[in-house]
Amino acid sequence: MPEQATEQENQTPQQQAAAVPVYNPEVLQDMLPVYYRRLFPHQPFYRWLSYGLTEDGVFCNREISFTLQDDIYIRYLCFESQAELEKEICSRNPVKIDIGPVMHTRPKNHRTVPGGLTPVQRELVFDIDMTDYDDVRTCCSGAGVCLKCWKFMVLAARILDVALREDFGFEHIIWIFSGRRGIHCWVCDHQARHLDGRGRFAVAEYLNIITYVNFSGSNSPRCPMGDRPHHSLKRALKIAEPMFEEIILEDQNLFGTPKGVSKLLNMVHDDMARGELESYLQKNLQDGAHSRLVWESFAKYANSMRTSTANAWSRKLKNIVQEVQLGLLYPRLDINVTRGFNHLLKAPFCIHPATGKVCVPFSVSAVAKFDPTTVPTITQLLHEINAFDDKSKGYMEAPEDKSRIKDHKKTSMFKGVVVFEEFLRKLERSHKSASLQF
Amino acid sequence: MEFRLKKRQRLEVKVEVVSLESKYPHNVMMYHYPPTDDIHIEEFEELALERLRLLRVLDRASTRNLRLLSDEWKEYVNAELTREGLRSYLRLCSAGGGTKQEADMQTRRRDYISHFILRLAYSRSEDLIRWFVAREMELFRYKFAALSSAEVKQFLEANNFDVHPLTEAQKDEVKDGLYESTVGQSVAKIELLDFYKVPFTQVMDLVRGRRCYLKAGFAYVNTHDLVSIVGTRQQDEIEQGLLAAKGLVEEVEGDERISRMLKALHNSYTGKDYTVCRDAAVPIESLDQLSKTSMPLCMRMCHEHLRAQHHMKHGGRMQYGLFLKGIGVSLEDSLRFWREEFTKKMDADKFARSYEYNIYHNYGKKGSMVNYTPYSCAKIIKDMATPGDCHGCPYRYMDPGSLKSKLSAYGLSASAIEEVMFFVSRGHYQIGCGKYFQITHNATVEPTITHPNNYFEESQITMGNRQKRTNGPAPPRARARPDIKGCGDRSMLMGDDDDELWRIAETQERVMQSQKAISEAFDDDLDLTEIDY
Repeated sequence: MPEQATEQENQTPQQQAAAVPVYNPEVLQDMLPVYYRRLFPHQPFYRWLSYGLTEDGVFCNREISFTLQDDIYIRYLCFESQAELEKEICSRNPVKIDIGPVMHTRPKNHRTVPGGLTPVQRELVFDIDMTDYDDVRTCCSGAGVCLKCWKFMVLAARILDVALREDFGFEHIIWIFSGRRGIHCWVCDHQARHLDGRGRFAVAEYLNIITYVNFSGSNSPRCPMGDRPHHSLKRALKIAEPMFEEIILEDQNLFGTPKGVSKLLNMVHDDMARGELESYLQKNLQDGAHSRLVWESFAKYANSMRTSTANAWSRKLKNIVQEVQLGLLYPRLDINVTRGFNHLLKAPFCIHPATGKVCVPFSVSAVAKFDPTTVPTITQLLHEINAFDDKSKGYMEAPEDKSRIKDHKKTSMFKGVVVFEEFLRKLERSHKSASLQF
Repeated sequence: MEFRLKKRQRLEVKVEVVSLESKYPHNVMMYHYPPTDDIHIEEFEELALERLRLLRVLDRASTRNLRLLSDEWKEYVNAELTREGLRSYLRLCSAGGGTKQEADMQTRRRDYISHFILRLAYSRSEDLIRWFVAREMELFRYKFAALSSAEVKQFLEANNFDVHPLTEAQKDEVKDGLYESTVGQSVAKIELLDFYKVPFTQVMDLVRGRRCYLKAGFAYVNTHDLVSIVGTRQQDEIEQGLLAAKGLVEEVEGDERISRMLKALHNSYTGKDYTVCRDAAVPIESLDQLSKTSMPLCMRMCHEHLRAQHHMKHGGRMQYGLFLKGIGVSLEDSLRFWREEFTKKMDADKFARSYEYNIYHNYGKKGSMVNYTPYSCAKIIKDMATPGDCHGCPYRYMDPGSLKSKLSAYGLSASAIEEVMFFVSRGHYQIGCGKYFQITHNATVEPTITHPNNYFEESQITMGNRQKRTNGPAPPRARARPDIKGCGDRSMLMGDDDDELWRIAETQERVMQSQKAISEAFDDDLDLTEIDY
């Protein structure tokens, strides 16, 4: 991770020493004990998963799984209390913690429970992975992510968040940076947690508007809007459209190559019309013309064809300009994660083993300012604590356990914890009002 | 007979004495209270088989890809019901709620009781439940669609649906949303229609299809879509009933007459289970060959994808891996096969860590220890691949141009391609697949393809590598089929889809034979792709 050293912005609360160590996966196992003991926010983490203990077994029947060093994967763990969870985390030092559903009984008894475990509740979760955007980004591919491609995630989070809130009435939504190239979303409202399989499927399908058509060897996204577009599509478009020029035309210059132009053509789902458009573009543009020119020609052509005569452009392709915009920018969900009641998903505040970055929560309203490249790594955090401790040694001789609680405040992880605390505060207020109603 | 649910016993003491009409007040009923009548064992069986014939008609309609409640669907179902001698049910489905004739009352009773009998037979496994619920819901929707709007209101009241239309003022508040997002109604109509506001969880099917306006967790449903609310409740009712029935089955099966019959029903009507291949072992060395001759397009493309990319995403690994298990690739071979490909791009260690679990899991050796069933066409068609994936039904996810060039690369003539495309372009993917089979195998009839493993098997049989069951020594039919005493219509138990029992009854000898046949066939180096059509 060579960029780590250069991208130490002055966003961290502490002034960094000039040489910030680069994350080295080899020594992760040596750093984890310190991280879990001093930085991991055990108490907020428990407060989240216990949901105010308003329901029976909501914490102690929850399946947690640990991935230990050398990919030893332990499933069906469960814990009775915050103390036990904290103790286990600190003694096992998992490379990764996954959160599963709340089962009808203790998951650790899974071998002896007749009929097996039945999940009874689970947050509604969404997983968006940058690799699903590989066909629409030219800046990076695979595991790489930069500020340019992060903009896809910005849009994804905004579009999904508003849909979940406005359409479904959900309020308790927490967004997490997954540590490398994706984002997770946990919807924690009572109703969301208690959706059955059919419900999850329905919500997932409602929000998953993109289908892929295999077109001359590559998958081409399709986003049919129909005659009268549903209000959720219109709203998504309203959010995505202003960013279209910046992301697709400028940053990615997606149509700037012959291959890119064919991507655009492939999204026109009518053979005749595609042929017409292709010859029109060939006639009017040079090879390798800038995306903006390609897009302008396309939009102009589609509009003029639509209004001139009755043809495919005025019927089937009536909304093609908007459909292409949505098809390229609408969130690409990993639908199976949302659909599955049983799916395990990485917990917030884990360390991503490949990058060393913390899976930090972020706030959707500030998502545009969130920079995945400067998310603190475990190496950096430990460095920050040490620097802080060194500096304050003189006047902070507090006992070990007391100083531990506040350790995350000494580091650049602070912001993530604040977002999480804010989410918890609202969540807990809802428990209170719910318990008052009975 | 007694299989009412224990916890509800209190509720229905009085029901016994009332007449048929008050007991079955409506053609469309929520199947809530289990019946408490005494019925003769012969009638029990007769009713069960009758309903199975009914549900199978609906099943046939859906495998033909007819859209539920479309004109073609109705035409087909009505004709089939008549042919099957189920006229009385046809009346039930088309007469709405208002008839008062004795015969119709009797049909209502048969409908009600037979539903509960089948719950017992179909609560045994996930697959059976899914099939049963899907068919019952089709039947319910058909019946409900025949009701007039007054009858719908009456039905809602009778069944305690607490829904009230929005007042004009309430409607006015959300009218923009209603105009925008109510599918299937013109703006002028929307002005006139009644709308109902319900929690979105009550109309999952509308939500899933983005067919209604949704705001703050509430869906706005118009009169025409009320069936969705009722249907969701009915489906919950049936699904919960099946769960309850599962617990009751053991008790009921204390009576051997009933237990044999319920089990026979189950066996006759499940189609095939491909979880474990009983036919033959397939060596992985033959997969390249088999992919060309005997695999349906979906699997052939997976195979080629894997050979070319040396990697496959999870969806593809599930689809193709389970298929391989189903045709008889052993766990050890399977591990070897995937490892050889994957390690061309990654080290063996990473493969062992990241992918081996998945393979053990598919064979039921790790995790939940379930021996997973290979995917059927229905599931494959439903699964849409995301970029970089290769699973799903190629007839569905490929665009016509690339599909055509693929087919021509596989050696189909232009006219043959047109034949396949004719069905594909109309959404009849399975029929297109059957056509492809017929063409590539020079077969006289096109088989009905419902499962990739059944495609493979048909192919092997057609090519003479595996023997059709009837060619072998006559299987001991009597032993294979539990005799059903007093069965009204036994002929249906002899249907083509009943091969499962034959298979079980077959001997080890045949397994040996077919293994030999396969190895001989490979010696012949038979390659269908070389044959010019």
